[in-house]
Amino acid sequence: MGSTVRTLTLGMKMTPYVAILEHDLRGLWQSWLVRLWLTTAALLTLMLVASNWSKFQDATLIASLLFPHLVFPWFFVVVVLGVSPVSGSRAKVLADGILSRPVSRYEYLLAAWSSRVLLVLSVYLVTTVPAIVIVVLAKRPVPADTVTAFGTVSALAVVGLVLTFLVSLGFLAGTLLRKPLLAAVVLIFLWYPVGLVLNVFSLEELSPVSLSRAMSTQLRQSWRETEADAKGKAIAEDDTFARQVDHFLGVFSNAQSKPPATTPDFFEGGAFDDFSLLRVTLGYGAPTLLAVVLAMLFFCRRDL
Amino acid sequence: MSVMRDGDRTPDGPTAAQKSAVELAIRTEHLTKIYGQRLIAVNDMNLEVPRGSVFGLLGPNGAGKTTTLRLLLGLQRPTAGRAEVFGKSCGPNAVAVRSQIGYLPTNPELPEDLRPIEYLDLLGKLCRLPREVRQPRIASLLRAVGLLDATDQRIQTFSTGMCTRLGIAASLVGDPPLLLWDEPTAGLDPSARRFTLDLIRELGKTKTIVVATHILSDIDQICDHLGVMHEGRMIFTGSTQEIKQRICCDDITLELEGDPDHIGRLAREVTNLEGVEARVIDGQAVRVRIANGRSRSLVLAEILKSVDACGLSLQAIHSGQNVTENAYLQLLQEDEAHGFHR
Repeated sequence: MGSTVRTLTLGMKMTPYVAILEHDLRGLWQSWLVRLWLTTAALLTLMLVASNWSKFQDATLIASLLFPHLVFPWFFVVVVLGVSPVSGSRAKVLADGILSRPVSRYEYLLAAWSSRVLLVLSVYLVTTVPAIVIVVLAKRPVPADTVTAFGTVSALAVVGLVLTFLVSLGFLAGTLLRKPLLAAVVLIFLWYPVGLVLNVFSLEELSPVSLSRAMSTQLRQSWRETEADAKGKAIAEDDTFARQVDHFLGVFSNAQSKPPATTPDFFEGGAFDDFSLLRVTLGYGAPTLLAVVLAMLFFCRRDL
Repeated sequence: MSVMRDGDRTPDGPTAAQKSAVELAIRTEHLTKIYGQRLIAVNDMNLEVPRGSVFGLLGPNGAGKTTTLRLLLGLQRPTAGRAEVFGKSCGPNAVAVRSQIGYLPTNPELPEDLRPIEYLDLLGKLCRLPREVRQPRIASLLRAVGLLDATDQRIQTFSTGMCTRLGIAASLVGDPPLLLWDEPTAGLDPSARRFTLDLIRELGKTKTIVVATHILSDIDQICDHLGVMHEGRMIFTGSTQEIKQRICCDDITLELEGDPDHIGRLAREVTNLEGVEARVIDGQAVRVRIANGRSRSLVLAEILKSVDACGLSLQAIHSGQNVTENAYLQLLQEDEAHGFHR
């Protein structure tokens, strides 16, 4: 009886959060940006699978499907989705319609953040998971690969975490800067040279490029397997894919190709021996939490 | 309306602060809001709104009325001072305070993609109302504001009047004891305005209502207490009677039909009464000024007898002009004149 009452009370307490979450998700789903993104992502996934059907082994092909979610322009879409909830013209509707009701600002922000993360992860998983299942289960004219369930889930989770981080970053920028366009532009200029910044602090492992290159190794990782065992399985075609990634990002960042290093460089030769799931999780998880907490603190001190 | 201090104690009862929390719906102490160190929107405001009153917050555009309401709602943070609603402090996360308030903004901006029922249902959920309470209340509110026929339309198709009516319904979803309505009759046609004023009168029987407006005729019809704001300052608070007493305007104008000579005779007869002056206006009316201390009703009875005696037909009686308007304008002028001394 007591627990029933407690459950009911908790349910009633959660009602505003759930209501805002539903309302926000509905609004997001109706936006042309989300629909365009979903359609384009699905088409791109289809094209990548079809064009590489008989070229790459499972891990490499799956890694190529995850790659667009780590780079521009998907980054831009995710950031813009994160920026919007408390900025621009929406702020007045928000103040009049929701925040003048018995709802705390924490509840509102948490619900708005959750809805954006849910939406971004949904689009990402809806477009990639079916393709991954097809790639793994289909009989293709390529040598058999050793993609594991743990590897697949962990690789998906890493990319999901990066996307969650980007939403949170957009969320923080939207709260601080108020103007959505300005926030998006500032974030692009911050995110663009991120590889360089991470390199300066010896955190290359966390850069989107490095993550992309590490994905095929991670996909072959089993639950009990050591990293040393897994890295031996990285095969030559990973290098091909890695070079494609480098070239793609080089075009966007206008960076020159690196000269051949005389000493072993990070991830050189497809070794990817510095990739640690724990470090990547902490490296993106902690800033995500920090961004959400800072956004809440700023929003609670803000006039509407 | 006296301000009670927190430390004041009654001999064997609650503290003065607790007592005032029971008696007052709203209390502000030195409430101040300055935007960006440039614009003083609310300036050292001390306000007390009694429970159960219909309080008119008057002031010209830019006087700080809307800012005051938004400070009470916690949508904005005060630069200095404090505000309380039913004894609870206002602030951005003061959920308990907002659960007691129904807010109607000026020309409310509503989510255009929703239908009225969806919108009110969302607000009902935000008010933590269970489904069995929410649904019947939404139906009765939509009926009360006359939007039952528009339930299948999206809000984006609504006219200004319909949006205001939906905003009124939205402010009542949680059945709060305090309503803060910001210019509820702005942009409404005469029938919608009449409907809104009647509703305020009806709701005023059970709730405390604060109506921020600069339309004085609305205030005259519905409010029993008034606060006049000017340039962020509260320059007057009190009952409507108190504000009317500020202007001793005991003029009565009689519109008459009949021989102009008889009208002149009436004016002379009335002037012979003690403490009464009368003069003919435009040949068809007599303006009567009654001195302080004389009973208006007795004087009026005497005058009406004289009207009959002079063989005149009484068309209308006007008691002074718009007293509230005069008092309001006088207050603003006084405040302007004393501006240098502040």
